[in-house]
Amino acid sequence: MNPDKSEVLQGTLDLMILKTLHALGPLHGFGIARRIEQVSEDVLTLNEGTVYTSLLRLKQQGWIDSKWGTSENNRKARFYSITKRGQKQLTVETENWERISGVIGRVLRLEGGKQQ
Amino acid sequence: MSSPILRAISRVGVLFGQKKAESEFDTEMQTHLQLLTERFMSQGMSPEDADAAARRQFGNTTVLQQNHRESRTYQSFSRGIQDVRYGLRVLAKSPGFTAIAVVSLALAIGANTTIFSVAKSMLYDRLAVPDAQQLRTLYWHATGHSAVHGMWGSFDSSPEAGSRCSCFSYPVYQQLSAHNQSMQDLFAFQQDDMNATIHGNAHRVHAEMISGNYYSGLNVRPLLGRPILPSDETMNGSGAVVVISEGIWERDFGRSPSVLGQIITLNQSPMTIVGVNPRGFTGASDSQTSPDLFLPITMQPVVAPRHDQSLLDNSNFWWVQIMGRIKPGVTDAQAEAVLSSQLQAAVHGTMQVKPTETIPTMLLADGSRGDHFTENDFKKPAFVLMTLTGFVLLLACANIANLMLARGAQREMSVRLALGAGRLRILRQLLTESLLLAAMGGVVGLLLGYLGRNVIPRLLSDPWDATPQNVHFDWLVFGFTATVTIATGLLFGLAPAWMAARAEVGSSLKESALTVTRRRKGMGGKAIVAFQIALSTLLVVGAGLFLRSLFALRSVDPGFRTDHLVLFSINPPASRFAKGKDVQLHDRLEQDFAAIPGVQAVTSASIVYIGNGMTNSTFLPAGEAVDRNKRQSELFNRVGNNFFATLGLPIIAGRPFNAQDTVTSQKVAIINQSLARKRFPNVNPIGKEFSTGDKADGLVRIVGICADNRYADLRDDAPAQFLMPYRQQTEVGGLNYELRTSLQPSELAPALRAVVRKVDPDLPIVDIRTQQEQIDSSMQNERVFASLSAGFGVLALALACVGIYGIMAYTVANRRNEIGIRLALGAQPGQVQRMVLRESTWLAGAGIVTGVAAALLLTRLVKSMLYGIQPYDLPTVAGGAAILLVVVLTASWIPARRAAGVQPMEALRHE
Repeated sequence: MNPDKSEVLQGTLDLMILKTLHALGPLHGFGIARRIEQVSEDVLTLNEGTVYTSLLRLKQQGWIDSKWGTSENNRKARFYSITKRGQKQLTVETENWERISGVIGRVLRLEGGKQQ
Repeated sequence: MSSPILRAISRVGVLFGQKKAESEFDTEMQTHLQLLTERFMSQGMSPEDADAAARRQFGNTTVLQQNHRESRTYQSFSRGIQDVRYGLRVLAKSPGFTAIAVVSLALAIGANTTIFSVAKSMLYDRLAVPDAQQLRTLYWHATGHSAVHGMWGSFDSSPEAGSRCSCFSYPVYQQLSAHNQSMQDLFAFQQDDMNATIHGNAHRVHAEMISGNYYSGLNVRPLLGRPILPSDETMNGSGAVVVISEGIWERDFGRSPSVLGQIITLNQSPMTIVGVNPRGFTGASDSQTSPDLFLPITMQPVVAPRHDQSLLDNSNFWWVQIMGRIKPGVTDAQAEAVLSSQLQAAVHGTMQVKPTETIPTMLLADGSRGDHFTENDFKKPAFVLMTLTGFVLLLACANIANLMLARGAQREMSVRLALGAGRLRILRQLLTESLLLAAMGGVVGLLLGYLGRNVIPRLLSDPWDATPQNVHFDWLVFGFTATVTIATGLLFGLAPAWMAARAEVGSSLKESALTVTRRRKGMGGKAIVAFQIALSTLLVVGAGLFLRSLFALRSVDPGFRTDHLVLFSINPPASRFAKGKDVQLHDRLEQDFAAIPGVQAVTSASIVYIGNGMTNSTFLPAGEAVDRNKRQSELFNRVGNNFFATLGLPIIAGRPFNAQDTVTSQKVAIINQSLARKRFPNVNPIGKEFSTGDKADGLVRIVGICADNRYADLRDDAPAQFLMPYRQQTEVGGLNYELRTSLQPSELAPALRAVVRKVDPDLPIVDIRTQQEQIDSSMQNERVFASLSAGFGVLALALACVGIYGIMAYTVANRRNEIGIRLALGAQPGQVQRMVLRESTWLAGAGIVTGVAAALLLTRLVKSMLYGIQPYDLPTVAGGAAILLVVVLTASWIPARRAAGVQPMEALRHE
């Protein structure tokens, strides 16, 4: 595997999908996969099937909803959209993520400083 | 429970809606793959390469499908099933705990179910007729001197409240019925015991004489044939037909349809069977037991003559009960007002009312449960029993809660919390476990309750007159049991679940490893055990009181020899044995019975002592004037000449009755010592004369004084009483026989029957029993309470034993370290043992003090049910406390020994 690429961290895919749906509105699974690919600029490798596992999980939590519709090239596709509860969850998770990544960032910088 | 079952269930789940979800997901994946393939092709790949690349990028579709399927099934099933599976596994892992929990719950729930079903059927079951709630029973109420004197039926009377009675004269009923506007049809009925001969066998039956509109009024149709109809009661003496109960149809006719048209003899009159009642129909007066047969009320003068005149024309004798359905839109108060004025008119129209007498007013009472006159007698015992069983159930709950806490679920929960389980999920898991336990206990309990539903009615009925009585087991009982089961599951599950879920992740992990000092955390468990001990004390003290009551009652000396005395009754119907003939019959029977080998002495008596029956009669010593404000009647018994010798009732002075006392000779009587003291103070009563108010008797001369004896009931002191020989009477009707014999009733019965059959083959011998059985039956309430409460007490002790053992064993196990250190520092094993025992003694003390306090508060409420002791009876309370203390110390002995036996090194190395 390409050493420049990272595995998606456990639990972060849900957050990415929620954010994607929040930002772009209703999307089908393929669209979500493309968007993550595009945003991550090929840094993240993604087994695109896992998007569906994540979607099912989010749906069971009641954070997203789905509806059948027709995609751009006239294919039958399921469109996912974020719910109110999902938006709340997104806010909470985002704050959590920022706090933790902030802490981890500070810790990493701190250790680096000591070594120098 | 293993995964194949789960798989089976999820496969069932697939049948419902899973297929659709799966095919939808397939479509979704296929679309995605196609889009990916197209994208790669547009980047210049060959179709094969693009397809392969798309598959690589998408990942393994089969695994994904599988994951989705499981995820979906788990969403709907798995949590619940996982909990149940896990719960079952946990329960199976500790079979001892599970067995104790299920058995104690089953016993407690079973007891509750039984008592509830009995209480429900006695207090709440309605008559098995359509729209029973419309039925009203008519009562009359009168204060002061009521115009009604002669009555046959249920009667309540007190100086303050006046009298209340549910019987009316037949002429009054006819007038009410004719002018009735506020009610739908009024129908009349009265029950009487009669002698029936069916297929040549004479036996006693409960018969109900009914008006012709009875069946239409109740809206009941016979199972077979026709009901009693208005056309049956055209005139006095008409309608020689009967409708029989389903019970008789089954017992005596084997459910044969050819029963219709058969003729049975009822009090010597031939009657044709025209119908069979439907199952469950119990008549109008009672929802528990059905009369055996129903006949037109117009047959009364023929079948059940009383007095010389037909009761149908008698305005002074009130004897029929009246019921009817209230008209829609009419309130009870309106109907009462209308019926009251009609009753007054009817009384004036049919009777001569003296100016000092009051005319009764009409009352309407709910008739949906029949004439529930005795209901109040059951209310208190039913309430007390429900409370007792409620305590037992509470105790069982406390026991299980305690065991669950002590099983150390907490530590395991901390591990699970640490591994990321949600608190709610853990709470749910533990509750599922307790509900599982409760459900198992509930199912077994329901079964026990079902099997035991007829035990209490059987205990309460006379062994020689066992009317088949079925407690209905219906949805209400089932609902009650289900509710109780779920409530108990929550009750004993919630506390441990709450504690476990509240546990901090680290605390109990750390604690169990490092605590060496006395744990302060076990307070919850200990409080529960103290509560258990308190409840047990309460139940044991209660059982003690009921047992002592029973023993006190049994040790009462009734005043005569009760052993080897066989009793039965013979009731010659007046239609066959007219005035004078009945006296001759009894005379002959007495002699014939005495000739049976093994019979030492025979007498007859109108009243059997300790049989709950009584008669009284005016007793006016010559020279004493009638005084309306004074009670001048005394208890009375009409007996055979051998009475005193047969019963062993000593004659203190004078002589017993003998053959010289005949119809034509001077009427004689014997009075007892109490009567002599009461009515002839400081005078020798022998030779004195008195009148009984009956002109035929004239002046009666006292010829002897006998010892006192208990009369209707063992509870009441021996009352004043006088006795007269039946042989001096012109008419006596039915009499009881008392035979002094070493034979058992069953050995004696054939000889007795042979004697009676020689005289009259249609005359049944009724209620063959011993005097001791008769006395026992008067103590049924006490016996039922003593045995049930003793059973509950023993169960309570057993549960308390388990509880205290559990908590002490748990405490000792937790304090192994501390104990090890103590021993290592030089404590003696005896000291350690005493330390543990001291702790359990404290627990016991707290529980016992609370229990005794509660007992003193609560037992006051059952004061009226006790005999010979006070509710705060010191020996009982002290004895109960002592029993509890001994039980607690015994139960904690083993953990204490175990503590003393701890090897210091091992205990310290253990952690």
